Amino acid sequence: MLKYEIKKVFLKGRNKIALLLLAIVLLAVSVMTVNRVEYVDENGGHKTGIAAARNLREEKNKWAGYLTEDVLRDVYRENQAINSEYASGSMEDEDKIYQKRQGISSIIDLINNANSPWREYDYYAIDSITEDQAADVYEKRISGLEEWFASGKETFSREQQEFLLSQYKNLDTPFYYEYYDGWAALLQNISTFILLLALFIGFFVSGIFSDEFQTKADAVFFSTKLGRNKAVGSKLGAGFIIATAVYAAALIIYTAAVLLILGADGAGCPIQLEMWRDFYNATFLETYLLIVFGGYIGMLFAATAAMLVSALTRSTVTAIIAPFVVLCVFPFLSRIVTLPQVCSFFPDRLLDIYNGVRDFSLMQIGGKVIGIPAIIILVYTAVTLVLQPIVYRVYKKAEIK
Amino acid sequence: MELQLNDLTKKFGNFTAVDHVSLTMTNGVYGLLGVNGAGKTTLMRMLCTLIKPTSGNITYKGKNILELDGRYRQLLGYLPQEFGFYPEFTVQDYLLYIASIKGLRPAVAKRRTKELIQKVGLSKAAKKKMKTLSGGMKRRAGIAQAMLNDPRILILDEPTAGLDPNERIRFRNLISELSEERLVLLSTHIVSDIEYIANEIWLMKGGKIIRRGALDEIVGNMPETVWICRVEKQKVSFMINKYKVSNMKSEEDRAELRIVSADRPLPDAVQVKPTLEDAFLYYFGEKAGSEDVEI
Ligand SMILES: Nc1ncnc2c1ncn2[C@@H]1O[C@H](COP(=O)(O)OP(=O)(O)OP(=O)(O)O)[C@@H](O)[C@H]1O
Ligand SMILES: [Mg+2]
Repeated sequence: MLKYEIKKVFLKGRNKIALLLLAIVLLAVSVMTVNRVEYVDENGGHKTGIAAARNLREEKNKWAGYLTEDVLRDVYRENQAINSEYASGSMEDEDKIYQKRQGISSIIDLINNANSPWREYDYYAIDSITEDQAADVYEKRISGLEEWFASGKETFSREQQEFLLSQYKNLDTPFYYEYYDGWAALLQNISTFILLLALFIGFFVSGIFSDEFQTKADAVFFSTKLGRNKAVGSKLGAGFIIATAVYAAALIIYTAAVLLILGADGAGCPIQLEMWRDFYNATFLETYLLIVFGGYIGMLFAATAAMLVSALTRSTVTAIIAPFVVLCVFPFLSRIVTLPQVCSFFPDRLLDIYNGVRDFSLMQIGGKVIGIPAIIILVYTAVTLVLQPIVYRVYKKAEIK
Repeated sequence: MELQLNDLTKKFGNFTAVDHVSLTMTNGVYGLLGVNGAGKTTLMRMLCTLIKPTSGNITYKGKNILELDGRYRQLLGYLPQEFGFYPEFTVQDYLLYIASIKGLRPAVAKRRTKELIQKVGLSKAAKKKMKTLSGGMKRRAGIAQAMLNDPRILILDEPTAGLDPNERIRFRNLISELSEERLVLLSTHIVSDIEYIANEIWLMKGGKIIRRGALDEIVGNMPETVWICRVEKQKVSFMINKYKVSNMKSEEDRAELRIVSADRPLPDAVQVKPTLEDAFLYYFGEKAGSEDVEI
């Protein structure tokens, strides 16, 4: 039963085309992601792709290890040395500085972040600070937050402030560092990819319920023994399996392609190397898994919405629109009519956990402070679960007029 | 086994499609005969639990079929008037899928599918996609799906509509072969479909069953008589307007008319034995030969 239900979906002409399109999108996003890693060689030539990644990785991994004060000081001095060697200010020298700095650019970023005003990034910060200041990044991260709270420019409650501070203080330092650009590139494009993926999946499952009516196969379907019970369940099951399988397959291919080309080192490095102010103390791999899981829940929610509309309206076209409304139109509209607090609970946020963990999006329930990504994951898991029996009941009770 | 319709009524808004029908069915073939819009499909849909009666109910062995739910539908085979299917499925996959939602175990499903494909003469088309079949082949796939679970109750809504005469005869034979030891309800507005295979005929009009009984009873209890007479060609249209004419044969400059009428239409008219077709015309026909009457 389940097998044929799934077969129905993928034998449909328009779904075959959509699958092909998805493959093209997958390829395009993979290429875009891979091209995010660039390397400039000795002669000033720009490179991307496998070769660039290999060179950059080699340069950066010379500095692999814990970023202790000593290492930070070394980086500071290295930067000074590069600056003084190419100090003319000419275009050639600027390029040379860029080229020479590539191996330490991530660590310079870290020092810049720690020494920039709150929520800003000063690209030249490292050039205007002392060696001691450069070595003091971890303390700076915490004191920066404290100063920001003290400035009164934010609206966090005492509990929230304490929560953020304790998260900051709990972060393990010094950071372990190695080349992590593959992961960084992966995470930068993953939200867009997950959104597209969710729309495609919504498309695939949109006909599972309504096509029975559209093809007039409904009369036979609902007059069979299992047509108003198990067969309905197997439709839900087919939707779930298709959604999960397509999601998993697409993300595995995407992730594997990107990391095989760019290199998978850095999985265990703290995400704060890339997202300095992130209060989730997690590694790149953990953050990736959280993003993928959040996206999965968001995608399942959108797919379930499509199936509900499919069962209710008996129109596949209307059902296709449902995920768009849920993931694109609705959040977009709500941003015009600013409802910021409500906004952070829209399902599109699930597909963009990457930005969710970047912001200080917090919520307080009683005395307990929780990050919004965690809350929406829970809420939408619950909503998605609750919707399943509703779809089931709507369909089970259908009358064929 | 007993299927009972108790004061069954279905309204769509103010319109009554099935009007207080009470009937009992046991084994055998029941022919439901009526013109377009008589309410045949609506009645059958209620029998298949596809729509709920506005009032009244249907019971099987004394229990409401809506409460029996799957246990009732398990006994059911249904070929809808507008037979829809999954266009991309092969005949074989289609039947295997329907078998699965009918709750057949996979081994049984395979065996039944194979048997029925052969029985309905689709062996060569088993691997063809449903959408590539001809109208007649689709109908045969339709009857095959209805038979998958060897149903005790077989409901066929105009199974011969749109078939050519050869196919129609083959289909009729197939149905009569399949009708042993079960309850078959077959609707049509084509008299010849059921004339010889139905044990009981129901005439339906305006949502009501206006006459029921065996062929002989229906035909025999007709209050009017059937006549055959010959008239000149130019008088034909006059006769058609005046009388219910169930058949007309052209001869050289004259025509032989078959007329249903209480009185002798012409002095030389000969009284003949009525057929179901004459009865159909009598009960449903307006004057001026209805197209529904199959010649
Ligand atoms: N879903 C519906 N909503 C409103 N009216 C309906 C509906 N279904 C059927 N009807 C009306 O009920 C009447 C009976 O329809 P039904 O389809 O049962 O007739 P039928 O005897 O099967 O006719 P046919 O020989 O054309 O198939 C018709 O007048 C039809 O317009
Ligand atoms: Mg009908």
